[in-house]
Amino acid sequence: MRLIGVDIGGTFTDLILADTDDGTVWTHKVPTTTADPSIGMVQGVIELCQQAGITPGDVDQLLHGTTIATNALLEHRGAEVGLITNKGYRDILHIGRHQRPLHYSIMQEIPWQDRPLVRRRHRLVVDGRIGPRGEELVPLDEAEVRAAVHQLKAAGVASIAVCLLFSYINDAHEERVRAIIAEEYPEAFVTTSASIFPQFREFERFTTAAINAFVGPKVQVYVQNLVDRLHAAGLRAEPHLMRSNGGVATAEMSAARPVTLLLSGPAAGVLGGSLAGTLAGRERLITFDVGGTSADIGIVTARGFAEASARDTWIAGFPVMVPTIDIHTIGAGGGSVAYVDLGGAFRVGPRSAGSTPGPACYDKGGAEPTVTDANMVLGRLDPEFFLGGEMRLVPEHAQRVVGELADQLAMSAPEAADAILTILNHNMANAIRSRTVQKGHDPRDFALVAFGGAGPLHAVDVARTLGIPEVIVPPFPGITSALGLLTTDLKYDRIRNQFMLNIAPDLARLNHDLAAIEADVRDQLLADGLDEAQISVLRMADCRYVGQGYELRVTLPAGDIDDDAIAGVWRQFHDIHAAEYGHAFESNPIELVNLRVVGVGALPKLRATSAPAGGSIAAATLKVGSSFFRHDGELRELPTTFYRREMLPVGADIAGPAIIFQKDSTTILPPGSVAHVDASGSLLVRV
Amino acid sequence: MPMPNDSLLARGVTLPQIDLVTAQVVAGALENIALEMGHKLARMSYSSIIRESEDFGAALLDSMCRQLCECPISTPLQLGPIPGYMRGIVRAMEEVGDEFLPGDVIMHNHAYYGASHGPDIGIGVPIFIGDELIGFSFTTAHHLDLGALTPGSCGIVDAVDAYAEGLQFKAIKLYEGGRRNEQVWRILRQNIRSADMVVGDIEAQVAACRLGAERYTELVKQYGLETVLASSESLMRYSERMMRQAIAAIPDGTYAAEDHIDGFLDDPNPRRKDLRIAVSVTVAGDEMTIDLTGTSPQVDDRPINMPLIGTVDIALYVTLRSVLLDSALMEYVPQNDGLIRPISIVAPRGCLANPIYPAPVIARFCPGNIVASTLMKALAPVLPKRISAGVGNLKVAAYSGLIGENYWVYMDITEGSYGGRYGRDGMDAVDTLFANTRNNPIEDIESHYPLQVTRYELIEDKAGPGRWRGGLGSIRDIRFLSDGRGSLEGEGNKYAPWGFDGGLPGTPGAVTLLPADGGAPVELPSKFPSYKFAAGDVLRTVSPCGGGYGDPLERDTARVLSDVIDGFVSVASAAAHYGVVIRDGAVDEVATAALRAQRR
Repeated sequence: MRLIGVDIGGTFTDLILADTDDGTVWTHKVPTTTADPSIGMVQGVIELCQQAGITPGDVDQLLHGTTIATNALLEHRGAEVGLITNKGYRDILHIGRHQRPLHYSIMQEIPWQDRPLVRRRHRLVVDGRIGPRGEELVPLDEAEVRAAVHQLKAAGVASIAVCLLFSYINDAHEERVRAIIAEEYPEAFVTTSASIFPQFREFERFTTAAINAFVGPKVQVYVQNLVDRLHAAGLRAEPHLMRSNGGVATAEMSAARPVTLLLSGPAAGVLGGSLAGTLAGRERLITFDVGGTSADIGIVTARGFAEASARDTWIAGFPVMVPTIDIHTIGAGGGSVAYVDLGGAFRVGPRSAGSTPGPACYDKGGAEPTVTDANMVLGRLDPEFFLGGEMRLVPEHAQRVVGELADQLAMSAPEAADAILTILNHNMANAIRSRTVQKGHDPRDFALVAFGGAGPLHAVDVARTLGIPEVIVPPFPGITSALGLLTTDLKYDRIRNQFMLNIAPDLARLNHDLAAIEADVRDQLLADGLDEAQISVLRMADCRYVGQGYELRVTLPAGDIDDDAIAGVWRQFHDIHAAEYGHAFESNPIELVNLRVVGVGALPKLRATSAPAGGSIAAATLKVGSSFFRHDGELRELPTTFYRREMLPVGADIAGPAIIFQKDSTTILPPGSVAHVDASGSLLVRV
Repeated sequence: MPMPNDSLLARGVTLPQIDLVTAQVVAGALENIALEMGHKLARMSYSSIIRESEDFGAALLDSMCRQLCECPISTPLQLGPIPGYMRGIVRAMEEVGDEFLPGDVIMHNHAYYGASHGPDIGIGVPIFIGDELIGFSFTTAHHLDLGALTPGSCGIVDAVDAYAEGLQFKAIKLYEGGRRNEQVWRILRQNIRSADMVVGDIEAQVAACRLGAERYTELVKQYGLETVLASSESLMRYSERMMRQAIAAIPDGTYAAEDHIDGFLDDPNPRRKDLRIAVSVTVAGDEMTIDLTGTSPQVDDRPINMPLIGTVDIALYVTLRSVLLDSALMEYVPQNDGLIRPISIVAPRGCLANPIYPAPVIARFCPGNIVASTLMKALAPVLPKRISAGVGNLKVAAYSGLIGENYWVYMDITEGSYGGRYGRDGMDAVDTLFANTRNNPIEDIESHYPLQVTRYELIEDKAGPGRWRGGLGSIRDIRFLSDGRGSLEGEGNKYAPWGFDGGLPGTPGAVTLLPADGGAPVELPSKFPSYKFAAGDVLRTVSPCGGGYGDPLERDTARVLSDVIDGFVSVASAAAHYGVVIRDGAVDEVATAALRAQRR
């Protein structure tokens, strides 16, 4: 099988082609064509196929991570959206949870008021109301719905969100409105709140639907262009798009629910990191994806990657309520700016110099010291070998800006540079701590998989701060996300609200409903062209103690759930509650709130990469230079060996202080650490 | 056994010099601990007032009860008072010769011993390394009921003294030396309505405090106590420096303003209504004195008095830092003891802002918000680009009823709105100033209580006109589905939020009963004690709308048009207040120029 993974970032489009039979991998990188990213992507696919000596028609599967939805939301450039909602509740999207984003600010912005997804002029109300038990309190006034649709159509609204109270229990009114729109304005892009994510809390659910409506038309056009261009280029395989839940969906499904694409790229990163760890034989992993402006952190255990609680995800200041890989993002990366603020505190990030002007040493006009400049001053980057020599760095610029900061702090330039890295590394370590220690995971039981352009620069120091014993640097750190795409499955989430108490379980209903949802998700996967053997189904439930407002997820055993099985489920809930919060209320009744079914359609995937060809230590050694390291508490300039990664022989051990260059990243080995070149292609670093 | 005065800090230890980097590293770790405490408290708790509204706080204190860090989720009015709670606990314990033991968990809510008011129960856990008391882990949370004279813990506006407000806890040990004090828990269960929920929430607070203590101990073990203390001191000095710089940038002088609270508008006694709040700010170099002299005398037998520690001080500190150290305009300045070092507060004993025990205080929230907004009004002339025009106040309502012999109690916090700001309109329908809770989703309310929210929208055409107009408030209707009771404490039915620099005032709020029998609407005052409501009755709350900033005739005509299209402003108001003539959905430029010229 030949698989292609394409990850489109802000600057570059990374492509990877793998032959799953022998693990051979080809990689390619082309500039992202911002106006229509599918243009650059298809060009890249054609070139990559040429490189591998095949034609696009020989490709069995194309998997794609996209930022198209994310950017539309971040830049607030989406469709003009209309809303149809219940009479009396026109401004749910505007009032939100009536909480200001910042406690201590008069001049702050309120995203949902200052950057509305639906302007009030397009928020229309109709009679009709469902009650809290799904009962119809007021029938839907269809004449009002039709009038509202006409009004929105006349106003030139391209996309309509239908958001009605209690639709997560009974979506009859929302679906009826959808049907009326289809009759009156068939070209409109329609989103109903319950079809996206049927969960209580109206502001969050409506906002999620409104985001879908906002980015929908843009994503739809993009996906259509992509499919057309790929077919024109001779690709026969149907492209699949990565979603925030860590699975892929068909182009058609993705275009209908674009809000599920918001964390497409970072999710692929977690999978790529997971693959590298798995190939090295490690099971418990912290993925650490560091780029120019931010670091994305994910957790992988024997149970796979963690899923975020549905109410913990915020993008561009808006809550997003769809199943999402638990990814924690902080503003810390190579471009993070270091400065002393007015009160004399030394800060690094979250402000970033980005890619323009970028760090001072990029010589593109950057005038503030960044993390990359600090690495430059410490001798950890080489002007010649950065990005495989594609970009020449100017060390003098780094010296100058870090030197200015050092003067302010009454330090030497290397001391200031070291301080920048210390603060950055601790910020990153704190972020990892919040995903591990705070969730009951001991970081000492994990390996840190470091990738992205800047991950391997900082990983050993971060690991040491947390007591993490091992760092794994994948073979191609810069394109790990694209690699991750080659390990995915089709994945569809189904959720249904169902209340049931542990003191009064109704197993017949539970089993009946689970079977029905399961059948629905299987049908979807069969419709996508999979056969029964490829399909597997996971069943879960969200539970809480009666009266709580936040649920924890427990897994449900396969097959018919009997008294013993349900007793195990309740036990599991107490245990998870204790692990998550440090406390279980064992005598309190438990309420099952939602049933969840995840249908997985197995796709062919990359399971191993061929061992790197390698060379010899001698061939890999570039030079012996010097760079600064903190050793026994003191910052010292130490003789340091510089290596070329692709020439390192499998099985070799490289002791720090050493620096390993490759085209897409740089790995730092401080004194005391030892990197082993593993047959899986990764570097395994004992920190 | 140790008390704060025996601790390392009190013994006058010399702390090591600390470098900026270590200080920043420890700061991050501290913040992380407080965040974890708060996050877990919210997730574990039962009542919507904690888990949905986030009316809780979490913080770590050093052994001298100085705040080291706070949880950024949750609300300032719960966070700010924490050091005062802990100092009150210490004072109460010293008075009776009690002492801290490892394993203690202490409950406290006494408003004259540092607590903000009775319903906000503080839970504190002393943190030890060996025998050395090194600090406290603390949470506060608003509880639904504390056994006051009527159901719920808000709208108890007829309490005649502190005893009528509910149970009073002065440094009560829920756990003593690790042993659970079952008798205390029994008293709680026997005296509180809806006790399962309240006791569950207290348990969640205990768990969160213990977690904070554990994490702080780990931090101290990792870095050493002296390094952590030195880092903390360095952080406090940082915050202090930031505050001093901001104060020093204000020209020396005295800046004063006053405003009024409704009080009890339906009360024949004139001493219970139209009460004055006076704030005078004196800046001298990098220090500031805030003097509340001139504020009306306390109301001896109605609970709108405001404890100086726990309400008045927090209203002032929070507003001051929101104006001077606005976190949208500069780096986040850590909230700690350093921020308040340059500020002194004067309030004559026996005034509304410094009452004498046992004057009742439970409904101190809304008047406190007027103290906050009056401080902003005093600063407005010298800091015109950092303040907003007058702010609309909130209302807090308790709904309750019986199902069999058991109470249900629900608490609803409705929002206010901000005045216009330099370059920006006011924020619409938000919690204001020293409050920052969240509303409870309609879908949560209706699923759990015999209530129906029948309307929740912005109010149209009521915001204070200005070059930057005031924010819009909300209109919220809640219907009783069965017979029950309701009580309410609010402010702003009479006094409209002030306009600034040529901006017009906003509009007052309102409270209206829409009777089930279809009878005429009944206007209610901004405070009423527990009334009976019939199934079908609707209680409507309308927020005040913020004041305008700058001359409305200066407002960009395109923005006026946009407001009209969005229904924020009517065509009539566009002409009457803004001098903008709108015809057929467009600005009539000629007529507008003429009208504006005529107005000027």
